[in-house]
Amino acid sequence: MTATNQDSPALLDCEAAVRALYDYLDGRLPDASERAVKHHVEVCQVCASHFQFARRVLDLVPESMPLGGEANGLRARIVASLQAEGYRGASS
Amino acid sequence: MNDSPRDAAFDAQVLAALPHVVRFARSLAHDEALADDLVQETYLRAYRSWDTFKAGHDARRWLFTICRNVFLRHRERETRVVDTSGEDAELESLAAAVEHGQASRNGLGDMLDRIDVAPAIREALMAVPEVYRTASILVDVEGESYEAAAEVLGVPVGTVRSRLFRARRLLQQLLYTHAIDAGIVRAPQSPSSGGS
Repeated sequence: MTATNQDSPALLDCEAAVRALYDYLDGRLPDASERAVKHHVEVCQVCASHFQFARRVLDLVPESMPLGGEANGLRARIVASLQAEGYRGASS
Repeated sequence: MNDSPRDAAFDAQVLAALPHVVRFARSLAHDEALADDLVQETYLRAYRSWDTFKAGHDARRWLFTICRNVFLRHRERETRVVDTSGEDAELESLAAAVEHGQASRNGLGDMLDRIDVAPAIREALMAVPEVYRTASILVDVEGESYEAAAEVLGVPVGTVRSRLFRARRLLQQLLYTHAIDAGIVRAPQSPSSGGS
């Protein structure tokens, strides 16, 4: 990364931009670095595509892993094992 | 009927988190029966140590920590995990940049519109090694912060960051492979196949 001046974003190559990819998408970069990455993505078509693809995949991950069901009477098994320990909760 | 304040609090904070703990356990263990055993053991340990749980803390995060410890103890007899996260970060990012450029030229861009994406992502994520996958599950699925994930995993925040990078990169690679296998994007040409 090479800073040009205080007002212009630092210049990044693709490797540096990709290294910052997830910090950027997760909003964890300091302001100056964020501006530098944003500038690179605006001028680099390959990295723009890379960042856009990564963002889409991350957005799709939660729906690919639905909350766990409780097949095979799991809750009942848990409650039974807790009752052996003295549990007297609402689930019992 | 609930006639115990202690158990009422346990119900409200711990049993209410059961679906999240089930999902987390299934992301650790590929086998559903093993995952259910992990959940049951997690709840037993949580109940036994409920009096040590500090009010105001995040019960779900506490359960994830217990569940992972149960899983690691179960597994340590069988395998020894070598954590290589953080190694060769520069080479990884360079490789990722090169790979994505190549994948884009082979039709990666619209891949997500052409596959049954949720099952493909789930399958790919479950193929990511556990040490990296767990970081992704905590941050990308459960929505925990890097700092909270570090607390659950018992590692520095920087390690969570590098494990996430590795997990997400592997996920993309596996999706790309899935799309090639399904004939949705073109396979890259090997150097020896030329193209001349």
